Amino acid sequence: MTSFSQIWTILKKDLILELRTREMLISMFLFVMLTMVIFNYSFSADRNDLTAFGGGLLWIAFIFTALLGLNRSFAHEKEGGCLDGLLLSPIDRSLIYTSKVLSNFIFLSIIQIITIPIFTIFFIRYNYFPMIVLFILGIFLGNLGIASIGTFVTTLAINTKRRDLLVPILGLPLMMPILWLAVTISGNIMAGPLGPNTLKEVVRAVQILALFDIVYFVASYGLYDFVIGE
Amino acid sequence: MEDIEIKVSGLKKDFGRRKVLKGIDFSLKKGGFLSVFGPNGAGKTTMVKILSTLEAPTKGDVTIAGIDLMADPIPIKKKIGLISHNPLLYGDLNAHENLRFYGVLYKVDDLESRIDELLDRVELSNRRYDYVRTFSQGMTQRLAIARALIHKPSILFLDEPHIGLDPHAVDILDGLLDDIRAEHTFVMVTHNLEKGLTLCSQAMILDGGKIVFFEEKNDIKRNKFEAIYKKSVKGEVV
Repeated sequence: MTSFSQIWTILKKDLILELRTREMLISMFLFVMLTMVIFNYSFSADRNDLTAFGGGLLWIAFIFTALLGLNRSFAHEKEGGCLDGLLLSPIDRSLIYTSKVLSNFIFLSIIQIITIPIFTIFFIRYNYFPMIVLFILGIFLGNLGIASIGTFVTTLAINTKRRDLLVPILGLPLMMPILWLAVTISGNIMAGPLGPNTLKEVVRAVQILALFDIVYFVASYGLYDFVIGE
Repeated sequence: MEDIEIKVSGLKKDFGRRKVLKGIDFSLKKGGFLSVFGPNGAGKTTMVKILSTLEAPTKGDVTIAGIDLMADPIPIKKKIGLISHNPLLYGDLNAHENLRFYGVLYKVDDLESRIDELLDRVELSNRRYDYVRTFSQGMTQRLAIARALIHKPSILFLDEPHIGLDPHAVDILDGLLDDIRAEHTFVMVTHNLEKGLTLCSQAMILDGGKIVFFEEKNDIKRNKFEAIYKKSVKGEVV
C-alpha cells in the first residue's frame, strides 16, 4: 500500500465521521455567518456595502472559524483513545499529519464555498468575477497555510489540559504572515478594479504566500514525528 | 541459544522530574507469557506503552523480535497488538468500518474474510453495521479484541484487559487467549492475581518504577510472591 492510500484511508475516515456527526461543520458555519451579520451591522448597517474592507473582514471571520475547527480536528481521536490506535499502526506519523492537514483544509474550504458567495451577493458592490481565478488561488493558498500550521499547533496542544487556549495563543502569531498576504490578495480583488501596480502587488503576495505554505508544510511535516504522541 | 522475543535493558522513563521507570531489565522468550503486577503508579502501563511504541524511553534499549525499537519501529508495529482498557475504536463508525479502517492501515490480506472471522469469534457478527457508540462496554471491549488481532500480531500486550468486561466477555477473551496462546508471546498487566498467575510463564512485580520480583512460573513460591505483592500494594495505600 502506498503512502497515498494510507493518507486517503485516514482522510476518508475523518470525512465520514464529520458527515455523520456534523459537529465541526455546523459550528463553523454558524460562527462564520454570525460574524458576517455582526460585521454588517457594525460597519454598514444601512447600505449593506462592505466592498472597501470586505477581504479583511472575510479573513477575520475565516481565521476564527478555522481555530474553532482546528480545536475539534482531533476530537474523534481523543475519544476512546483512537490516537493511540493510529500511532500503533505501521504508518509514518508524517502521513497522519498530511491527512489531517487535508481534512482541515477541506472543512474550511466547504465553509468558504458556502459563505463567500453569500457574503459577495449581500455586501460586495464590485463585480470581481473577472479576477476569480486569482481570488480562488489566494483563498486556496491561505487555507493551506492555516491548515498546515494549524494542524501542527493543534497536535502540540492535543495532550494539554488547556488546548482550546493554546491553539490560538501558539497558532495566531504563526498565522499572521498567512493572514496578511491572504487579506492583501482578497481585499484588493474585492475592493475594485486592479491597476497595474495593485495587480503586481497581488501577484507578489500570491508568490510569497505559496512560499510560506511550502515552508510551513515542510517544517511541520519534518517535525511532526517529534510532537505527536509525546 | 534461546529464542528471545523481547529484551529490555536499563529502561528508564521520566516525565519531567518524575521518574516513572528507574531501570528495567528483563527478557521474554518467544511464546512466553509475562504477567506484570504492581500497585497503581508503579509504571506498568508506561512500560507497556514503551514496548508497544506509544512512548519513547528516556534511556535504555528495547529489542523486539530482534529489532531495535527506537531505530526501526515500523516493522515492530506490524508484529504487535495492544488490548487496553481504552478500546481505540471510533464511536461513530460501525464495527465493520472500524475493523476495516485498521485492517487497511495494517495492509491485511483478504481483509473481508479476516473481519468476518474475527466478528464471528467475538460474537458480534449480528451487530457488524451498528455504530460502536451504541455498544455496551463489554461489546466494545470484545470488538477491541478483534481490532487488536486484525493483523495477526505475534506479540500481544494486554493492559488490564479484563477491566469492564462482563463474565461472557471475560470468557470470550480467555477463550481467544487460549486459542492463540501457542503461537503468541504475551505481556499482560493485571491486578487479578489468580488470572495472571494461571496464565503466565513468568511473573513480574513492579513497584516505584523498579522490578521487585521476577521469576519463572515454576519457581514461584506463592507465599513469597504474595508477601511482596501485598507489601507493594500497601505502600500505595499508605
